Amino acid sequence: MQQVALMVLCVVLALGMQSQFPKYLNLDNVEIVLANSIGDGIMALGMTIVMITGGIDISVAAVLQFTAILVGMLMNAGAPIPAAIVVTLIAAAAIGWINVTLMRIFNVHPFIVTLATLLTLRGVNIVITDAGTVTGFPQQFSAIGRGYFAGVDHLRNSVVLFAVLAVITGYALKNHRFFQEAYFIGGNRRSARMSGIKVERFLVFTYVLNAVLAGVAGIVISSQYMAASISFGQNAELRTITAVAVGGASLSGGTGTIVGTVLGWLFLAMVRNAFNMTGVNTYWQDVVIGVVLAIAVFFGEYLKRRQVTR
Amino acid sequence: MTKTPGAYGASGRQAATDLLRKVLGARTTTLFLTILVVSVMLTIASGGSFLSSRNLVSVLMGMTYDLLMAMGMTLVLILGGIDLSVGSVLGLSGVAITMMMSKHQPYHVGIPGAIAVGLAVAAVCGAVNGLGVAKLKIAPFIVTLSMMAVARGLGTVWTSGWYISGLPDAYLVIGQGTFLGVPYPVYIALIILAVFSIVLQRWKPLTQAFYIGHNPEAAGLSGMRVALVTGAGYVISGLLSGLAGLFMTSRLAMGFFQFGVGAELNAIAAAVIGGASFVGGSGSLVGTFLAALLIAVINNGFVLLRGDPNYKTLVQGLIVFVAIAVDAYRRRKEIRE
Amino acid sequence: METILRVEDICKSFAGNQVLHDVDFSAEVERIHALVGENGAGKTTLMNIIGGIHQPDEGTVYFRGEPVSFANPLHAMNRGISIVHQELSLVPNLSVAQNVFISGQTNEMVPRQKVNRFGFINWKELYADTRDLFDHVGIDIEPTTMVSKLSVSMQQLVEIAKAISFNARVLILDEPTSALSEKEIDRLFGVIRELTRKGVAIIFISHKLDEVLTIADQISVLRDGRMVDTVRTEETSRDEIIQMMVGRHIEDMYPSKSSGVGDVLFSVEGLSRRPYFHDVSFTLRRGEILGLAGLVGSGRTEAARAIFGADALDAGKIMLDGKGIQIKSPTNAIQHGICYLTEDRKTLGLFLKMLVRDNIVSAALNRFTSQLGFLRRRAIQDESMHYVDYMQIRPPTDEVEMISLSGGNQQKSLLAKWLSAKPKVLIADEPTRGVDVGAKAKLHTDLRKMAEEGIGVILISSELPEILGLSDRVVVFREGTVAALLEGDQATQEEVMKYATR
Repeated sequence: MQQVALMVLCVVLALGMQSQFPKYLNLDNVEIVLANSIGDGIMALGMTIVMITGGIDISVAAVLQFTAILVGMLMNAGAPIPAAIVVTLIAAAAIGWINVTLMRIFNVHPFIVTLATLLTLRGVNIVITDAGTVTGFPQQFSAIGRGYFAGVDHLRNSVVLFAVLAVITGYALKNHRFFQEAYFIGGNRRSARMSGIKVERFLVFTYVLNAVLAGVAGIVISSQYMAASISFGQNAELRTITAVAVGGASLSGGTGTIVGTVLGWLFLAMVRNAFNMTGVNTYWQDVVIGVVLAIAVFFGEYLKRRQVTR
Repeated sequence: MTKTPGAYGASGRQAATDLLRKVLGARTTTLFLTILVVSVMLTIASGGSFLSSRNLVSVLMGMTYDLLMAMGMTLVLILGGIDLSVGSVLGLSGVAITMMMSKHQPYHVGIPGAIAVGLAVAAVCGAVNGLGVAKLKIAPFIVTLSMMAVARGLGTVWTSGWYISGLPDAYLVIGQGTFLGVPYPVYIALIILAVFSIVLQRWKPLTQAFYIGHNPEAAGLSGMRVALVTGAGYVISGLLSGLAGLFMTSRLAMGFFQFGVGAELNAIAAAVIGGASFVGGSGSLVGTFLAALLIAVINNGFVLLRGDPNYKTLVQGLIVFVAIAVDAYRRRKEIRE
Repeated sequence: METILRVEDICKSFAGNQVLHDVDFSAEVERIHALVGENGAGKTTLMNIIGGIHQPDEGTVYFRGEPVSFANPLHAMNRGISIVHQELSLVPNLSVAQNVFISGQTNEMVPRQKVNRFGFINWKELYADTRDLFDHVGIDIEPTTMVSKLSVSMQQLVEIAKAISFNARVLILDEPTSALSEKEIDRLFGVIRELTRKGVAIIFISHKLDEVLTIADQISVLRDGRMVDTVRTEETSRDEIIQMMVGRHIEDMYPSKSSGVGDVLFSVEGLSRRPYFHDVSFTLRRGEILGLAGLVGSGRTEAARAIFGADALDAGKIMLDGKGIQIKSPTNAIQHGICYLTEDRKTLGLFLKMLVRDNIVSAALNRFTSQLGFLRRRAIQDESMHYVDYMQIRPPTDEVEMISLSGGNQQKSLLAKWLSAKPKVLIADEPTRGVDVGAKAKLHTDLRKMAEEGIGVILISSELPEILGLSDRVVVFREGTVAALLEGDQATQEEVMKYATR
């Protein structure tokens, strides 16, 4: 239901923009729309699973920054690109693991732990970049963010990567027994445990995966801009959570699909692009996103409460 | 909150009171001592410049902004919620005030009018937060996260990224004027602290916040107006952020949409280290004050010792971690008892 | 008939309260065995022990002739004993088939996971197996249906099927008909009978004696944690069962009843809040204690909450002192002088981490507020110490945290809290639950004293002896409405039970 509505919205928005800007549906523009928000999209995939379990992770923006910076610094230090990428992703995984472990040790809500991680990581980022920008990456690195897949015009590698990741996570979430545990845990954690599901193990997996995907996003972004700085990923966590919430996931867990998230992401990407194109003050973006988030969450909770059949 | 071991007998009451007073001071005493120790260390390390009047003023001013927002945050935490929008509301209300009175802007409302508009904006933001949390029952961190984005965005849009200048001199007196060498805002903040502290402990409508944060259902069933008090808490938080925005723009003689970025985290840290808990039902304004002072001293020491400014955010992050750890430790101890 | 399950000399205590005393029980295949008893008789505890949720303190559980001990419910399920609880635990956003078969652990005896080598779900096999299972059980639900689209009764059938899928030989159903309509109950019974024919032993916990007499082959009666007797349905009658459920001497001494009752203080007429209760009417006179009796779930607490303004009424009138009043919220109710002592003191009535003093005045803050809104500290201290003395709260100080008090003292504090609010009418919901004998007696005396001083007391309790011992008149609730009003002598345990059950 929500997904249909989203699709309609996207189509309406596209047609509307097309009527104003005849070149809107040109592949040139489509390429830009997608590429500008690809980082958010990749992160939204991981965030979907996190939110289905009823949790949240607001440190993703800082992880994105961190990995963008780290991969850059490693390459500058002479590491071959593949090695730099692998090490960076491992570092991202470690951050995810720290998050979930702290949640367990301190017995606090995921929001609070990831808030602290966000801040600390941001601090680390400032320190290691000396508040500056990291540049000077090897030219081949740009292939990820700027290169075209198999030479096909307008089809960026990053978009293909996102599509592949989306298909994999979407398929796994629907069809793999392990991934289904997310719904059980989010639906009724106690009952899930009594059914024999190893809740802690799954949560570790979820938050590590989420951090790794944020890491992938960071690598893609730094490749796209061929630079890395602390200005990356501003409000990215807000947009990511909004995309997932708009796509149908509820904050309290138990609902959400990758398809919905992708549609939510697409919608927001189009909105963002619309701002740029119409020359509306881009600063309005944050306002709009903020409002959209509140509305999406409100409706999610409202509908959920109506649904309680008793 | 206070704890006493079982105190029995006729004299038990007296013993309990004494013990109570001692225990209530435990956290405050620790904070006080820590501040003392750190100050001494900094004085030595900086060859005495820590104690220079200019530096002390700097510490106090730095503390003042955080303190105002932390007081609001304390109330909100007592109520069992959280307010991530304080920094953005500071920015937005600062923008509103300066926009209204700047000679380069079309409004020309005059100082009292401008201040009224700015504080009204802050109160409205708080009211919207309160509505979302208390009436629509949306999770506080989402509501205030949204508001954080919205308020910051509005401030940015309104100023299009430019500084606002051209403020009347009379306005600058608020933030820059001093009495006995200490800027007015410090006094005002301390007065608010004192009044708020007494009111929170003794004024019925606000004292209910402790009950409500501790157990909202029981509070409702005891006849307390949960939604009203909760909403009011967010409005107060908004107003205090607005006041901080007023002081900042007055002192720095400009309006800037970036003012207050990241301030919410210091406010949270100060409130939590000062005794508030994320689960609600507890908090102490005096503790918050001391914690804010401590944080200000640490930040100042950082600058004084010529610490790499890049490390500032990292240090802030670690402080928040400490706050969380302290809260978790406190809760663990309670559960074990 | 094969006795597939037998328990012997089961004893179980919780926090010093002994809930089961030397209970023997057995179930045979192809038989439906009902377990009945009052609230708190121990039925659910007994079943939880059999199902692996609790461990017995003493005694043994024999399954298929061998002693067994289940570490957790999953263990019991894998061996063949499944419980379907009152609270359903299906995941709403997955399909029925996924809910039934996709769980955490593989059952060695029955391949459950329907997955291929890599862990991916084999949908064809999953749906086919689910369909087979449903056919076997006699349910007509499409396996691909999303659980959120099913009604409660259908979800329950799915839960039963799920239990069966573990090759359950013993199926325990806890109050399965409480949320079902007539038609749905018939369908459920059809399924149960079908299962019995297939060799399952069914244990059926219920309050509804008429249903029990319809469907069960045998009935066991628990009373106060002891097994009274097990009889064959065809050899017994409704009255006999009731006798077994309640037959006891009221040993506790209760304060003497009211000497003189005044005019009508408070009355309600036609209160409705569907589906919880409807057409509830009763009157309360000055000086009397009115008892609301009935089984758990009969709507008493819901009606009390609605009167108190905590929930909204669909319809009905409330009159206090002869005048009609509107109660829109608890704040409103307390202003009118109507107070409600909640059922669950820990989560709804007390503020555990706050001091005794803060708790005692928590409903009466307005009385201690000056014109400007400031609390009068001295007055509060005096008031709370007054009640600490009056209620004999131990330790005799108001400056300790509520959580450090014993259950009895907490309950006394809760009553003190509402006394402090100076009520005209007090609805006391389970005021002596979880309280030791001494404190109980004190609370009873206090309630009677209140009534004598002109406060109208409405008592809700699941302990029949308490209701009968304390109340001057008894209103019996059944399934959300008033089934009977019993005066003085009319109110006996058998009479109450007769009206409380169907």
